[in-house]
Amino acid sequence: MNEHVKPVYLEEKLDEIRADGHLAYRSKSLPTWCPGCGYFAMQEGLTIALNRLGIRNEDAVVVSGIGCSSRFPFFVNTYGFHTLHGRTLPVATGVKTANDALTVVAIGGDGDGFAIGGGHIPHAARRNVDMTYMVFDNGIYGLTKGQTSPTTAVGFRSKTTPYANEDQPLHPLMMLLAYRASWVGQAYAGRPHHLADMMEQAIAHRGFSYLHILSPCVTFDKTDRTYANLNMQVQDLPDDHDPTDLMAAMAQAAAHEIPALGLFYREERPTLTDVMNDTAERARNAPAPAE
Amino acid sequence: MAKSRNGTDIQFAIIGSAGDGTIAAGDIMKRAAALMGYKVIAFDIYPPEIRGFGKCISRIRISSQQTYSLKHKSDVLISLNDSHAIAHVGEVRDFGAVLFEDSPIAAIPEGGHISAHIAAAQVPYGFANRRICEEATGKARSRNIVALGYAAGLFDIPAEIFHEIIAQKFAKKPQAVTDDNIRAFDAGFAAGKATFKLDDVRVGMPQQVANGKDAVMMTGNGAVARGFLEAGIDTYFGYPITPATSIMERLAAALPRAGGRFLQTEDEIAAISATLGAGYAGARAATATSGPGLALMTEMMGLGVMAEVPFVVVVSQRGGPSTGLPTKTEQSDLNLAVFGGSGDARRIVLAPTNVEGCYRCAGMAFEIAEKYQTPVIVLIDLYLSNRFETVIPPRENVFAPKPRIKPELPENQPYRRFALTDDGISPRALPGDEGHMHTVTGLEHNELGRPSDALHQQMNAKRHDKLTSATRYPGLTTCKRFGDEGRVKVGILGWGSTFGEILETMYAAQDEGISCAAMKVVMLSPLPEERINEFFDDCDHILVPELNHEGQFANLVSGALGRPVVRLNRTTGAPMMVDEILAEVRRLAQTGIGEGTHSPVQQQGATT
Repeated sequence: MNEHVKPVYLEEKLDEIRADGHLAYRSKSLPTWCPGCGYFAMQEGLTIALNRLGIRNEDAVVVSGIGCSSRFPFFVNTYGFHTLHGRTLPVATGVKTANDALTVVAIGGDGDGFAIGGGHIPHAARRNVDMTYMVFDNGIYGLTKGQTSPTTAVGFRSKTTPYANEDQPLHPLMMLLAYRASWVGQAYAGRPHHLADMMEQAIAHRGFSYLHILSPCVTFDKTDRTYANLNMQVQDLPDDHDPTDLMAAMAQAAAHEIPALGLFYREERPTLTDVMNDTAERARNAPAPAE
Repeated sequence: MAKSRNGTDIQFAIIGSAGDGTIAAGDIMKRAAALMGYKVIAFDIYPPEIRGFGKCISRIRISSQQTYSLKHKSDVLISLNDSHAIAHVGEVRDFGAVLFEDSPIAAIPEGGHISAHIAAAQVPYGFANRRICEEATGKARSRNIVALGYAAGLFDIPAEIFHEIIAQKFAKKPQAVTDDNIRAFDAGFAAGKATFKLDDVRVGMPQQVANGKDAVMMTGNGAVARGFLEAGIDTYFGYPITPATSIMERLAAALPRAGGRFLQTEDEIAAISATLGAGYAGARAATATSGPGLALMTEMMGLGVMAEVPFVVVVSQRGGPSTGLPTKTEQSDLNLAVFGGSGDARRIVLAPTNVEGCYRCAGMAFEIAEKYQTPVIVLIDLYLSNRFETVIPPRENVFAPKPRIKPELPENQPYRRFALTDDGISPRALPGDEGHMHTVTGLEHNELGRPSDALHQQMNAKRHDKLTSATRYPGLTTCKRFGDEGRVKVGILGWGSTFGEILETMYAAQDEGISCAAMKVVMLSPLPEERINEFFDDCDHILVPELNHEGQFANLVSGALGRPVVRLNRTTGAPMMVDEILAEVRRLAQTGIGEGTHSPVQQQGATT
């Protein structure tokens, strides 16, 4: 027996978990996700990130669309808005515009974001709305029990592609870089500590931060994006990657079939609120508009 | 028509080509009349094309007492371009005046000059507009102003008022522009004054001179924007669409100065989504659109009802369906506004009938939305959006928000956002309120807001019943009766912009000795059924004129009350004509009880 291994006692471990206070960000509702779903890591990650950043529960608003991942707001102890399919970003933009003191986190899946909601992403990104958008990408529609999504791999068989999917999947990281999101990163549900760190950084970024999170659907995808496959495929960004270099970020995003984990790109530029404040300043100095 | 009620009641029609300054001349005329203390109603018609030589018409009705619509016949036509004006000579009444350029600069084809088209009973006034203008200013540019001056001189309207408005109009341009235009006006005025007057158009003095300085000339859209601003609107997210765009443009300029937030979104869905998001976070949030935009917004309206989020949507209708008639008026989005969306999604719909109503409904909409925690639609149309009326706003701001009372947190109990209460209204916490954390959703939910089917029937009843008291909201006219009291032969029931024509019709019918009353219904949802029912009780026949094909309001009312109505439907793209409604009133007045309303289709009125 290895003498370095110490036994772990449940009570001690629970005390340790309770001690840092992140459990205060969990709600009393139990998640409705399947056992083994990657989204449990997201729930843990977000509570850790909010706790580390010292954001008070009442000052955080989690906005989501429709889908398995969009059930998220019910499971965290903050303000939450479970909106309509695909409309996460414009609703979140409205919340942030109305009250700049709030920390706004928008959450959705690959279908909610890149199929029905795809038209809103470039505009939230280009306006640099000061919020964090996290897409939990499992490459499938889970809530409707297993249909193809815009990020499903070619060749995948689902209930709506019984003869295999032929549509080229979208490349969310390349899209967000092209839309000039001011913070673009990737994480993986199977690396929960890295995930929590990335969530913390994304929320701390001033401007529109996009965190893409790879997450297996253990119920409807037994062949493609499984923990076993992803564990073999994921890798870290090279140490010398410069996150201020947009072209380098694009090259890294395009380099592998499953892009690397880490921070691809970051820039500082005025947020939507900054721009609106600037407009207000210029408007106040301009002559009054005609009736 | 109804001469006894009006000392002065004159309608000018200024007609020219884009580039002739037609709308500008009309603008000066209506502002001058308003400043003198007349009641003014005006409606401009622009060509749908942005460039080219399309027809422009500015119609201005000035009167010493309140009027409710434009007149079918104009008293004076001012032609700035005969090629467009010739087709409209027929709208000038007998013994009315037609003013035109009598010395065209080039040879014109046979029949190309307006003088050949003026009827024997109409009075022509040709004057050398171009020569007068060139002599006065050295240029021919201000011919529209010369024509205004000529009309003012001819009808003996004081020149000083016009000088003031012209100076205001050109205040941002070099002083020479104002000077030139005043010289042009004065030269035209002298010519008009020297002309021997043969028509019977009489412009008497206004009765309420004291109010002239307080009166503000505004369009329906301008009134909506003003109401929003006085109510302290916090955010406006919008997407351009005719005929609602000028609300957005006005707020783009005014809102940042007033401390609010303005954003042009990527589409109507984003506009309403962000508006709902802002309303959820506690802002006074509004957007404006037209029918096609509302069609895109209906899903989010449903979420607003379900999640009990207050926000305001102004809808200015145009001809439909689909892209339809973007620059023509219609009242065919009632069904969409009142019923649009999935499920049982009762919301509040206000349909003002005139420009002042636009101002009041827009101003009060936020307070009502907040009280009932639900979306409010203010339903207008192109005719109301673009027409000018004089409004005397209250001296004190009556729409400003009152301080919010935070809900108390029950001890040792979770906060129940959707608590079932006696009046159906639950205490509402906002993001940022300590201890009240909760999630709202478009899923059916329990009192805590958590997804649950168990209370669906109770929650449906809550969302429905909580609105019922809105039909008697203090300070808001939700329906109102005009005309003869007690039992009448014909009752005209109307909504929206058409009610102006309905009132004019009612007065005309009374002048003919027909016992007649009219009721306007401003709140279309929830419907003030009790008072409408009383009106039905008093009327032998109920006539419902509206600008749509299917009789959407007629269906709404007769469906809610289970009582028959006579319909009058028009979809010509133009406002309803008083003469058409009057013909129907006369027909019904001659029909016995039980004959008209229940008889098969007769003439133009279809029956239910």
